Amino acid sequence: MNWGAWMPLLIVLSSLLVGLVIFVLAEDRVKTRIWLNMGGALFKLVLVAFMLWGVFNGHHYETRLPLLPGLDLVLRADALSMLFVVLSSGLWLLTTVYAIGYLEDSPHRSRFFGFFSLCVTATVGVALAGNLITFLLFYELLTLATYPLIVHRGTEAARRAGRTYLVYTLAGGALLLIGTIWLYTLSGTLEFTARGFLSTLDSSHHPALVIIFVLLIAGLGVKAALVPLHGWLPQAMVAPAPVSALLHAVAVVKAGAFGIVRVVYDVYGIEFSASLGVTLPLAIVAAVTIIYGSIRALFQDDLKRRLAFSTVSQVSYIVLGIAVVGPVATVGGLVHLVHQGVMKITLFFCAGNFAETLGIHKVSEMNGVGRRMPWTMAAFTIGALGMIGVPPLAGFITKWYLGLGALEAGQSWVIFVLVGSSLLNAGYFLPILYAGWFKAPADSWPAERSFGRHETALALLVPPVITALLVVAVGLLASTPFSPLHWARFITTLEYTP
Amino acid sequence: MNDILSALLLLSVPGLPLLLAFPALRSRLSWSCYFALLPAVILLVLPATVSIDLPWLLFGTTLGLDGTFRWLLEMSVLLWYFAASRLQPLNDPAANNRLISFFLLTLAGSLGTILSTGLVDFFVFSTLMGYGFYGLLVSAGGHIARRGGRGYLVLLILADLALFEGLLIAASTTGDLTFDSVQLAMTQSDSPGLFLVMVLAGFALKAGVWPLHFWLPLVFRSSQPVVALLLPAVPITLAMLGVVRWLPLGEISSPVLGLIIQAISVAAMLYAAIFYVTGTGLKNAQLKTLPVFAIILVTGLFFTAIGTGLSDPAVWDRYGNWVHYFITSLGIGMAVLITVSGWLQAKQHFPATPAKQVEDSSLWFERWPGIIVAWASKTGFNTLPRWRAWWLAKVDRLWLLICALKSVLDASERTLQRWTFAITLFLLLGIAVVFVFLASQNIL
Repeated sequence: MNWGAWMPLLIVLSSLLVGLVIFVLAEDRVKTRIWLNMGGALFKLVLVAFMLWGVFNGHHYETRLPLLPGLDLVLRADALSMLFVVLSSGLWLLTTVYAIGYLEDSPHRSRFFGFFSLCVTATVGVALAGNLITFLLFYELLTLATYPLIVHRGTEAARRAGRTYLVYTLAGGALLLIGTIWLYTLSGTLEFTARGFLSTLDSSHHPALVIIFVLLIAGLGVKAALVPLHGWLPQAMVAPAPVSALLHAVAVVKAGAFGIVRVVYDVYGIEFSASLGVTLPLAIVAAVTIIYGSIRALFQDDLKRRLAFSTVSQVSYIVLGIAVVGPVATVGGLVHLVHQGVMKITLFFCAGNFAETLGIHKVSEMNGVGRRMPWTMAAFTIGALGMIGVPPLAGFITKWYLGLGALEAGQSWVIFVLVGSSLLNAGYFLPILYAGWFKAPADSWPAERSFGRHETALALLVPPVITALLVVAVGLLASTPFSPLHWARFITTLEYTP
Repeated sequence: MNDILSALLLLSVPGLPLLLAFPALRSRLSWSCYFALLPAVILLVLPATVSIDLPWLLFGTTLGLDGTFRWLLEMSVLLWYFAASRLQPLNDPAANNRLISFFLLTLAGSLGTILSTGLVDFFVFSTLMGYGFYGLLVSAGGHIARRGGRGYLVLLILADLALFEGLLIAASTTGDLTFDSVQLAMTQSDSPGLFLVMVLAGFALKAGVWPLHFWLPLVFRSSQPVVALLLPAVPITLAMLGVVRWLPLGEISSPVLGLIIQAISVAAMLYAAIFYVTGTGLKNAQLKTLPVFAIILVTGLFFTAIGTGLSDPAVWDRYGNWVHYFITSLGIGMAVLITVSGWLQAKQHFPATPAKQVEDSSLWFERWPGIIVAWASKTGFNTLPRWRAWWLAKVDRLWLLICALKSVLDASERTLQRWTFAITLFLLLGIAVVFVFLASQNIL
């Protein structure tokens, strides 16, 4: 049996089948559901580890199934896809543990975990997509699988947020579809190719290619929350914390950012994109998003909303790194795909812990929370300092490479964006840390629950502590061969070596 | 010395206090402040020059200790033991644990900075030290200390951003970020000016150089004597060390920048001397803040030397070594000054002299400093309430503007969302039309 031809499909199916089985499980089959969730997540992780080892050693993994005449459904493992697959599979395991603890005694858990698994299936599909049509299919599946998770609580606010999310993402999907079809009519192929496949087209098509680029980026920019297409993200904060973590760190916004990387590198090619003159406007949009998101975050009292605007800002570092055009900045952008995920998931886990344990939803309610929940607050502190870019945490590595890449590419203005953004990051994160650690706590918490001798349930506490340690580890051990930085360098070498 | 042993020893000098800082947050570990210094003491007892390469750490780290900085480490260890002995337990156990934890974090950053042999390592450890010291300052409690902490934090962030820019410039000039390589690269660089400015600005902000010294007096009013004791020995001394280690002093000439630095530094020294002699120096109630003026004076002196070195590298070549001795002895010297002034204040050996009496007893030629002081006090912290009211009015107006901006942004996002609904419907309709068209043309 040729494992190379089936491995990508097996990885996608590993969570899809789990999700389908969970859908039909009765609500009271708690243990079975936990075993299925954990077993599925671990099995996927083992498969991913195996494939990662293979890709590193030059093995080829590709599943190709006929879809339409002339168009195949292609799942392929390359260096870039593995970066995203490892991130989503690894964080899915932790998010599953967290969600099990978070949704204990909640209704509709089978429905929730069913869609949860579908969501990860779609994300891994997006990561492994070998052509634009496969990417589009999984991208839309992701929209449909995430919608029930956002409206899971069934409140009016949740339904409203769900509607907004659906409308935004459907609009984005529509733009992406139009761009994809147009591209296919021009080029006759949609296969992702290293350094792109459009540079050989006749120059008379260049104006059309610019318009298609705008359509594709706008379509992907909705999920990547580029300003002004970001409106759904802060509203989606009504979703349960594991869903927020999934939206912000593992799946949705990452799928958008990853899609932009794919379009710029493997559809257009970075050099051809630069020659079309589309990279500078993209960099400007990313810079505006970075600053706008940070400014908006400054004014939010709702903790999750503040984190949401922070995501709007932070995800655009990935886009900025790509659009600056240069190997060093690309390393910064790609590595932030992982770093932002690890940092942001830590922050959302912690926000969920504050809400579930003490009923804290607002920054103004966080006074002295570090005394009551020191481990959670310590994890939050590491995540927040990482976001600011304090060395040697994950965010510092990103900003280092982005800054260095900007200087290398002769785009010094990016440094001002980075400095301004870091100042704003400090402006909206440090008051939370100060309130949490140094202010005296209120007489009582909004809605306190007791968890025995632990500050909160262990299933809620362990994931953020692990991800916080990861924030430290990926920064401190950036030069090791198994670090995200090393992998990002490897991808960049492939993209920039003729 | 055995490589593994020296690696362990060098790593544990900043590593042990760092590791102890986390359990200290949860339990009462008062002994940990002394125990954390043990690797540093062992390192000092061993006579050999030690160095260790850690290519897997961050961007590749080298820690080491040579003869020049052994003396600084010795002084630091001595001072930290003294500081640990002066640490006063707080009534609230949680606050006390926090205090010890931040003490250990500051210690880790401080010792790591001394052992650094490259810009990145120095930056990382000095940032750790800076945030640790902020925590120490705020943990010590008190409204005034917290105000001081806020001021310190703002300057710390600005300083780190300036140094980060300096680091990027250095990294884009040379791939090797050890002190020697960067100094050589900057000497050979065509445009080292921005690097010099960023590094000097960064470390000047960290050192609280005049006129950015406003947080210093507030630190000295902290309820924890250890905070005041560590202020000159840790953030200020290490900022000075940073200037000396990062910049190619004696190799590079920048007369204009040197002159500007000299002018600011001399103004700082004058300011400190005038205030000390004619102002607060005679008021017992503010005896605790007297070391502030000593700090402004010595930082002014230090930066005058730096300015001179930049103006005339030959002077630095001749006398630059003295700056190392100055930095090394500053911490201990200031610790003695602070301890003695504190002791004098406690014993009340210097009874308060009414300001009016001072003015009346002075001769006319002695009054001119008073006129300068009166002018200076209008811009200094003596008239802070009036200035604060003025600033508050400004901030209030700015806040109204910000609120208006926020409302506009909120409203525009809501409008955008409404439009998105319409656009989505239009797009979906458009796609259907495109599909029908393509199908009719046999393209699909």
